[in-house]
Amino acid sequence: MRGRARVRARGIARSPSAAEVGRAPVSVSVSPSPLPPPVALSDNESTSSSGFVETSSSSLNCKNDACSGDDGNTFTKRDVTIKRNFMDLGICTREKLAHVKDCKTGSSGIPVKLVTNLFSLDLPQDWKLYQYHVTYTPDLASRRLRIAMLYSHSELSNKAKAFDGAILFLSEKLEKKVTELSSETRRGETVKMTVTLTSELPASSPVCIQVFNMIFRKILKKLSMYQIGRNFYNPSEPVEIPQHKLSLWPGFAISVCHFESRLLFSADVSYKVLRNETVLEFMTALCYKTGSSCIIQMCEKQLIGLIVLTRYNNKTYRIDDIDWSVKPTNTFRKRDGTEITYVDYYRQQYDLTLSDLNQPMLVSLLKSKRSNNGEPQLVHLVPELCFLTGRLTDQATSDFQLMKTVAEETRLGPLGRQQRLARLVDNIQRNKDARFELETWGLHFGSQMSVTGRVVPSEKILMRDHICQPVSSADWSKDIRTCKILNAQSLNTWLILCSNRTENMTESFLNCLRKVGNIMGFNVDYPKIIRVQENSAAFLRAIQQHVDPDVQLVMCILPSNQKNYYDSIKKYLSWDCPVPSQCVLARTLNKQGMMMSIATKIAMQITCKLGGELWAVEIPLKSLMVVGIDVCKDAFNKEVVVGCVASVNPQITRWFSRCILQRTMTDMADCLKVFMTGALNKWYKYNQDLPARIIVYRDGVGDGQLKALLEYEVPQLLSSVREARSNTSSRVSVIVIRKKCMPRFFTEMSRTVQNPPLGTVVDSEATRPEWYDFYLISQAACQGTVNPTYYNVIYDDNGLKPDHMQRLTFKLCHLYYNWPGVVSVPAPCLYAHKLTFLVAQSIHKEPSLQLANSLFYL
Amino acid sequence: MEEKDTQCDNVVDGSASAPVIQFKPPLYRQRYQFVKDLVDLHQPKKVADLGCGDTSLIRQLKVFPCIELLIGVDIDGDKLRWKGEKLAPVLGHFLQPRELNLTITLYCGSVVERDSRLLGLDLITCIELIEHLDSDDLARFPEVVFGYLSPSMVVISTPNSEFNPLFPAVTLRDSDHKFEWTRMEFQNWASHAANLYNYSVEFTGVGAPPAGAESVGFCTQIGVFRKNGGKAAESCVLEQHAYKVVFTASYPSLQQERFLRLVMVSEVSRQVESLRVRYLRRLKEQRDKELGNEPADTGPEAPMLCFGPAFTEVERDRIKKSPKPFCVGNKFFVPLKRLLAYPKLNRLCISEERMRSVIASSLILSCDGSAVVVELYDYFDHLFDF
Repeated sequence: MRGRARVRARGIARSPSAAEVGRAPVSVSVSPSPLPPPVALSDNESTSSSGFVETSSSSLNCKNDACSGDDGNTFTKRDVTIKRNFMDLGICTREKLAHVKDCKTGSSGIPVKLVTNLFSLDLPQDWKLYQYHVTYTPDLASRRLRIAMLYSHSELSNKAKAFDGAILFLSEKLEKKVTELSSETRRGETVKMTVTLTSELPASSPVCIQVFNMIFRKILKKLSMYQIGRNFYNPSEPVEIPQHKLSLWPGFAISVCHFESRLLFSADVSYKVLRNETVLEFMTALCYKTGSSCIIQMCEKQLIGLIVLTRYNNKTYRIDDIDWSVKPTNTFRKRDGTEITYVDYYRQQYDLTLSDLNQPMLVSLLKSKRSNNGEPQLVHLVPELCFLTGRLTDQATSDFQLMKTVAEETRLGPLGRQQRLARLVDNIQRNKDARFELETWGLHFGSQMSVTGRVVPSEKILMRDHICQPVSSADWSKDIRTCKILNAQSLNTWLILCSNRTENMTESFLNCLRKVGNIMGFNVDYPKIIRVQENSAAFLRAIQQHVDPDVQLVMCILPSNQKNYYDSIKKYLSWDCPVPSQCVLARTLNKQGMMMSIATKIAMQITCKLGGELWAVEIPLKSLMVVGIDVCKDAFNKEVVVGCVASVNPQITRWFSRCILQRTMTDMADCLKVFMTGALNKWYKYNQDLPARIIVYRDGVGDGQLKALLEYEVPQLLSSVREARSNTSSRVSVIVIRKKCMPRFFTEMSRTVQNPPLGTVVDSEATRPEWYDFYLISQAACQGTVNPTYYNVIYDDNGLKPDHMQRLTFKLCHLYYNWPGVVSVPAPCLYAHKLTFLVAQSIHKEPSLQLANSLFYL
Repeated sequence: MEEKDTQCDNVVDGSASAPVIQFKPPLYRQRYQFVKDLVDLHQPKKVADLGCGDTSLIRQLKVFPCIELLIGVDIDGDKLRWKGEKLAPVLGHFLQPRELNLTITLYCGSVVERDSRLLGLDLITCIELIEHLDSDDLARFPEVVFGYLSPSMVVISTPNSEFNPLFPAVTLRDSDHKFEWTRMEFQNWASHAANLYNYSVEFTGVGAPPAGAESVGFCTQIGVFRKNGGKAAESCVLEQHAYKVVFTASYPSLQQERFLRLVMVSEVSRQVESLRVRYLRRLKEQRDKELGNEPADTGPEAPMLCFGPAFTEVERDRIKKSPKPFCVGNKFFVPLKRLLAYPKLNRLCISEERMRSVIASSLILSCDGSAVVVELYDYFDHLFDF
């Protein structure tokens, strides 16, 4: 898709008449990326997902549905376009699930009272939203004029209204179905306006929800908040990290949504990461680094697809191409037909002086509504005037130091979060304009909601000959220190690569490793140690020389954390010559006094990479396969990486994995089929039967993708199960996971608020009526606020009771072998995530199937 | 880039009635350009636009770096409220702050009322305003604008009725116009006011007449009034607030410490990074030479790709004379004096002392505080083969 767009952009860009920049679009709708980016900040994707600036009156994007002739008077029906983040709301999956139709709540566990970040929004009992269509005779082209005309009319002046120039929403019904109004322009021309009722909407309809959200956006603007994407920020109190050229603006993500039984307003603290860097500065820095020989490729690789902000008019654009043949001194044709150079244009129009006359031009395709022939319009943008804002580059997100600084600055404990929420609500309630806005719509902004959650019992950890009840399920490393792991292959033939400098360190580490291995029940023989020079090529050469089919594992003691060491080693050993590998930073081994715990952790990882099993939890279902799916974007190839992991034994301790690279999201379903067939074959091979039940946890689902999931992915999964060789077909459940969701939960404790205990389940009030969904807190947060994980069961043949589904999910959060404690999502999902991350960041190829039976990606 | 819907009801610029004469660029833009040229020339600090209407002139004036106070006055408060939001600082203003503070305030009120907040201005513009005043207001207008507000400069534009016969069947150009004057009428009125309040006035206009009709003069006539003896000393006057504040915004600028720090630290980091990379590059070239390797890319650098800052003679000389960056172990040092030699930082006109205090909390400095210190090698360098 992107490739084609680029070719097109190029084609048009080079035709002489198209170079036009003065033409700014009404609203730049930036084409959203198919996936949420894998960044840990709450709002990085927001800039790209919706129009940037809202007009003062209304923000509903409307599109023409049917044009009946070119006569301006004919009634042109326009529908409200449902924005992507509201699209999923119309999809009802629960009604098809008979066992939860009446009740989807569980009952086990200890009840706990939780405070939320949700606030009730009350409406009168019979409240309705009235949608009208407005036509003008004679027709008025200008949207602004249309709005001004209608708003000035006395009939509507005191009513709550939202209008985008064609569709009008009122909270009170007009007397007649068709109302004729007329107004006079300043020139004395009479304009007739016909206001026709097109529908009456209940408060729960998606269109209504969208209107409510619009009302709240208006309110937050009244509080002098600044809107970027969907969120609102306060530019007056930024956190600045200038050494990374970043500013962080504190703010809120807000939304209005119809939850289980009522309309609720939710608000969460969010930070906007802004980059203080122009495209020219970025390109110049890149040029210094790479030299000019490959600057074109480097720039295109790094910049295309990014969102830029032009300072002079505050618009955002997506970079679709870079035109190296156009310079600021070239001319373009303005709207009025005159030719002008870019330099002169910006000087005249904005009093801006361009310092660099050799810079190339960025090309952006506009999906402007104004284009007459349907061809997207192009703009040329001057790099010097474009800020790289929105998302951080891939390079920046993989910069650990940078991300750590950002995380430190933005971390907020439950109490701090609660205080900020209280301040926001207070501001809304005190602001006269905000109150007026709410009142005219009939909305009553109520109190902070409390819900009752349940804390499900903690799990026992099953070791080889010991059952242990951990003190805290957040971390049971101490509890199992002396226990033997379930099953480990003996490590007999293996290599260690290290540099001369790290040889001594390596020796003492090896001793430790053998010692802890002994305690764990994992036999580690003495390896062949190879000394290599300190560069990545030397490491790779040594591996190529010494690895033969008998080698079980290659361990590399890396002299620095430069990424190329890791990448080249992983690439070679996952693809060219598939052997499990373990990279250890020399620096890590230098930490005195931590050697034993480091060795334990590495010993566990190695065991897993050799196909061993560390621990288990009790699984009451006898023949259950669990599957985890995650997607990730390749940092370099711009491909979609799909990772799938399935358990292959009833104890859920052994895993089969596949990772498939895709050009687009649409092929997703096909690759699931390939994977599922493979996984079922594997299960059959080990268990001589097919699993009775399959539960699929699907992560990496973006806004508005639920429909596609139900229509394509679920049927593909089902058909691959059906086609498997067996008379009795396995029963399947599909659960969509979201690691980011609006609700937050806190427990109130002696006048302060805290994170809720691990294993807290919420399946009422904050859930949605049309879904079989619940929240589970399975992640410990020492600092900051815990994020509940949201589970939405979209398909369920298994008919497990909600209680069982919730507990099973919690059990699966105990099985991630890279961490002796519970994790935020079920283990198969985290495995899938780890796999896609490795492939997207380092390997960039599908790893060899020979490794598919071990957790080689840990 | 700017919406001009409200101009549609003016026959001169309107597209609906297809006027015989079309101006290129449109007349309203010529008027704005006239004001902008004037601002460019005289660099006023405090400017008010009386009868600012949809605030489009204000929007164009706010880009001028010299302006620190921008006031709009109009009788139509609703319109100001609606349009005002567009004058608020946007994201880009925070990312790349102005050099000087800027405050924009919109007032709702009549231009013939006295408001002391408009005293001491450098420029007052009244673009197509006076023809909307009735005779009472028109009579009071000079007294308020020239007598009371008494700015250094006033620009008044109004239609030239001698031009009107060139339009099809037009008596007045807008239904709200109370009168339209000939050049003689305007000049008499203007000269009288100028004399009374000690201003000198020059007449000009925009919208040149078509060939053959030169005698009618410009479509819009303009009087530029300048106070004799320059700016009067600001005398103490009674505070008098007749206008209602509809909108006010103040822009981030380098005069504010936190934006200065933001800009300076990012610029310093950028400069240090580019020096570091160049240093590494030179190291590599030396290494290659010692090893007898041919440089990897011998091809001539394509001239079109040499973007980046281009220095003038003076700048290059200044940079050359400043202390060079150096390396101790794996640490890379860039002297502050060196950094201050680069144009972008030099332009900020601050001392080394001040620079040190501004950046100290964000960047690591050498023990004596004379240089910025960074690691010579960083995590991503391998991507670029150093």
